[in-house]
Amino acid sequence: MNTIERDDELLARARDLSTGISPEQDLWPGIEAAIRRPKTSRWTPRFAQAAAIVLLVGASSGLTWLATKDQVQVVEVVPAGLVFEQASFGGRYALGVGYQEAHRDLEAQLDTELQRLSPEARAEVEENLAMIRGAIGQINAALAEEPDNPLLQELLVQTYREELALMQRVGGLTQRVMPRRDI
Amino acid sequence: MEALLTTAASDYSPHMAVVSEPGPADEADWIARAQRADTGAFERLYRMHVDKVYGLCLRMTGNVAEAEDCAQDAFIQAWNKIDRFRGDSAFATWLHRIAVNSVLGRMRKSKREQDRIQLAGETTDAPAAVADTGELRDLANAVNRLPEGARHVFVLYAVYGYSHDEAGKMLGIAPGTSKAQLHRARRLLAQQLEQEGFEP
Repeated sequence: MNTIERDDELLARARDLSTGISPEQDLWPGIEAAIRRPKTSRWTPRFAQAAAIVLLVGASSGLTWLATKDQVQVVEVVPAGLVFEQASFGGRYALGVGYQEAHRDLEAQLDTELQRLSPEARAEVEENLAMIRGAIGQINAALAEEPDNPLLQELLVQTYREELALMQRVGGLTQRVMPRRDI
Repeated sequence: MEALLTTAASDYSPHMAVVSEPGPADEADWIARAQRADTGAFERLYRMHVDKVYGLCLRMTGNVAEAEDCAQDAFIQAWNKIDRFRGDSAFATWLHRIAVNSVLGRMRKSKREQDRIQLAGETTDAPAAVADTGELRDLANAVNRLPEGARHVFVLYAVYGYSHDEAGKMLGIAPGTSKAQLHRARRLLAQQLEQEGFEP
């Protein structure tokens, strides 16, 4: 029997192995207990408040973009989302060192970049950043009460993403910061 | 008996006599009911699929306790996600995908895999091998001793009949990697079986 025949025989025998094996004990009681457990509502007042702020931030960021798009040259090399692909988001809701460094770089440039904007646009950006940072604080407070709430976790990530995206839009700094692969 | 035949899914009890094998129409009905939060219908789906799901978990983990946890977890996840099941694939395939994810997630988290390898080195039969007879038992034991990556691909491709594309998607690897792992598995199995004097 050559190698090919032996392999074919092996695969043919493997197809005869049982695919259905009964568990030694009935697993249903455990499953039933888990699925019958009443789901706690994720839509708590805290969560509703945080969600409303994030919605406001999203809308407001859009308006800021409209207000500033003609004043700064935006260089989008890598979408902001990619930063988050590579950022850690641990149990204590802190983003990774890489994210923090990128954030610090953008923050350091922000003041300079803001000076290039008209006073109205600058005020708009500052107001938005304050709102986003307020939302981050609100969501973190809500997470302290409901640490396992996945929607709150998602909201927090989304809000961090909003903040970074706004800073990128203002600064046009993506070319320098975004290609980093250590985030 | 007539009453049993017309019993609603939500009244189903596992202690009732099984009067006929459920077919695809029954399954579609139970899925629809389960999507409307009918736990009785979901129990029927569980009874219909548990052996295949548990078997898959057992062959992938090689550990009874781990396989029970994974199968249980897979069904709980399936319940939580069932409203998203649109029938793009067979329900069994959808369940198996969840089960494989559960196995992979647990293996990443736990160090039981190392324990499993140590146990597999012993001469006792692998847990999954009890379902097989004769020479197939030797093959099942040999499969259980394969390294994790090769074993997962071999179980999905060779035992459960998934394509390399499907196995790759389930395991989060490229189809080419799946093929390479299968080649490795076959080579290792042939060596093992030869050492044991088993002629395929």
